[in-house]
Amino acid sequence: MANLKVNICGVELKNPVIAASGTFGFGKEFNEIYDIGVLGGVSTKGLTLEPRLGNPVPRIAEGYGVILNAVGLQNPGLDVFLEEDLDFLKSKNTAVIANVAGKTLDDYAGICARLDGKVDMVELNISCPNVKCGGMAFGIRPESVKEVTSVAKSALKRTPLIVKLSPNVESIAVNALAAQEGGADCVSLINTLTGMVIDIERRRPLIANNTGGVSGAGIKPIAVRMVYEVCRAVDIPVIGMGGITCAEDALEFIIAGAAAVQVGTANFTDTLAMPKIIEGLSRWLDAHGVKDINEMRGTLVLN
Amino acid sequence: MKELRVTVAENVPIAKNVYKMRFLLPEKTEGLACGKFVNISVGDGAHLLRRPIAICGYDETSVTICYQLKGAGTRAMSEKKVGDTLSCVLPLGNGFVVEEQEKRIALIGGGVGIFPMLSVLREYAGLGKEFYSYIGFRNKDAVCMEEEFSALSQELHIVTDDGSFGDRGNAVSAFFAGIDAANPDVIFACGPTPMLRALKTELSARKVNIPCYVSLEERMGCGIGACLVCVCKRAGGKGNARVCKDGPVFAIGEVEI
Repeated sequence: MANLKVNICGVELKNPVIAASGTFGFGKEFNEIYDIGVLGGVSTKGLTLEPRLGNPVPRIAEGYGVILNAVGLQNPGLDVFLEEDLDFLKSKNTAVIANVAGKTLDDYAGICARLDGKVDMVELNISCPNVKCGGMAFGIRPESVKEVTSVAKSALKRTPLIVKLSPNVESIAVNALAAQEGGADCVSLINTLTGMVIDIERRRPLIANNTGGVSGAGIKPIAVRMVYEVCRAVDIPVIGMGGITCAEDALEFIIAGAAAVQVGTANFTDTLAMPKIIEGLSRWLDAHGVKDINEMRGTLVLN
Repeated sequence: MKELRVTVAENVPIAKNVYKMRFLLPEKTEGLACGKFVNISVGDGAHLLRRPIAICGYDETSVTICYQLKGAGTRAMSEKKVGDTLSCVLPLGNGFVVEEQEKRIALIGGGVGIFPMLSVLREYAGLGKEFYSYIGFRNKDAVCMEEEFSALSQELHIVTDDGSFGDRGNAVSAFFAGIDAANPDVIFACGPTPMLRALKTELSARKVNIPCYVSLEERMGCGIGACLVCVCKRAGGKGNARVCKDGPVFAIGEVEI
């Protein structure tokens, strides 16, 4: 059996497949369907210092091969997570990545300081497209990406920092470089692309928030291209995501240079998507005589 | 709950734009009950979300759901043939429960909301309960399952919006017209939001204190409680509830409608 273990900034994952933030809660529900201990990691629902109720409903819609969501960072707040959910996640022997968001630089500093040493990694959400004050303001301009990254990094003495990048920007590679300059240990991409679906009978957007973040199989080529561009631009590890539904999809990202991948929307289409991807990776590597998944990373040959 | 690949055994229209699908379970499945739902894929690559649909009936080897054609996804479902397979997560949600001491049950259903009501009738038929059913449809083309409702109910009142079948009116007004005679111990309801809102308003205005449970509908993501897409507001500013996991059945006073 091929080795699936990967190491991202000192954190060893048993395989490169991580549940993407927002599709997996804090893991308890999916653990009723399968043992989430098989996963390389879980990125939590986006956490804020205070509880948030999120956006009005409907919060979800479909396009062809994609979905749109605008949940708006509903979460129980950091205290509830620390008291009620963290121990469960840690007991599952999977890397725990706390996804965090804030309205201000102080929010980011505060939440990172309180999570320092308590989780395996912190993922900075500076790219949520669905709330006015969800960090998107920090995620667009490279100067502010660098600033919020360095504020978060200062608050994290022991825990590596991932910065999750928005694709709704002028150059995602420039922003990735800004995160690296700000002290990020890793970047993850892509967050969702902002989109809209209209109900032509009512002449209104289907989602209450009007716009939503587009994700799912249909966005994968865009995500792969962006991961490729970012991997060329930075020296820190890259976690790729966007439309991954099977092992072959995950391998595209890894060949483009990603050290690991996240899977989001596929969890809705198939609750067993991630265990199947992990098994599929193992099968593919064995069938191709590849002994270690790390040998696949960044092996892209351009035409 | 678990994810299974189920096999279509029947998939036929039963009213205008309404289909009944019975599918076979590949293995024994615990926890099936009236008022719970399944989250079923439509079986093509274009639709990434499953369709959450109430259980209308079940036995040890199969489950029946009834669904309305609303868009391309449910149309794709309606084209599935006997023998085709679909991915299905089930059973989901909390369901309706009739307590031992509750003997007289009022069932109020509007449109496709009649199917969870039928699931209650089927589950508790022959157990010494009396059912008073009030079901409403848009018009006579939408009427279905009326014979089974009639056979299993002590009393059945069918209404349509335009009076083309049964009396003209809606299920909630039919229920309140019959409430004194029915004298129910508990009320179950499922239907469009305006119908449930009218029920809540009228129960409150008439100071009716009979326990009442309603099944809510909302667009869902995961269907298992993880993604926080299908929320409703808890009454009294107590935050959000997840329709898929905390519901879909709620005490009518527990949530804002």
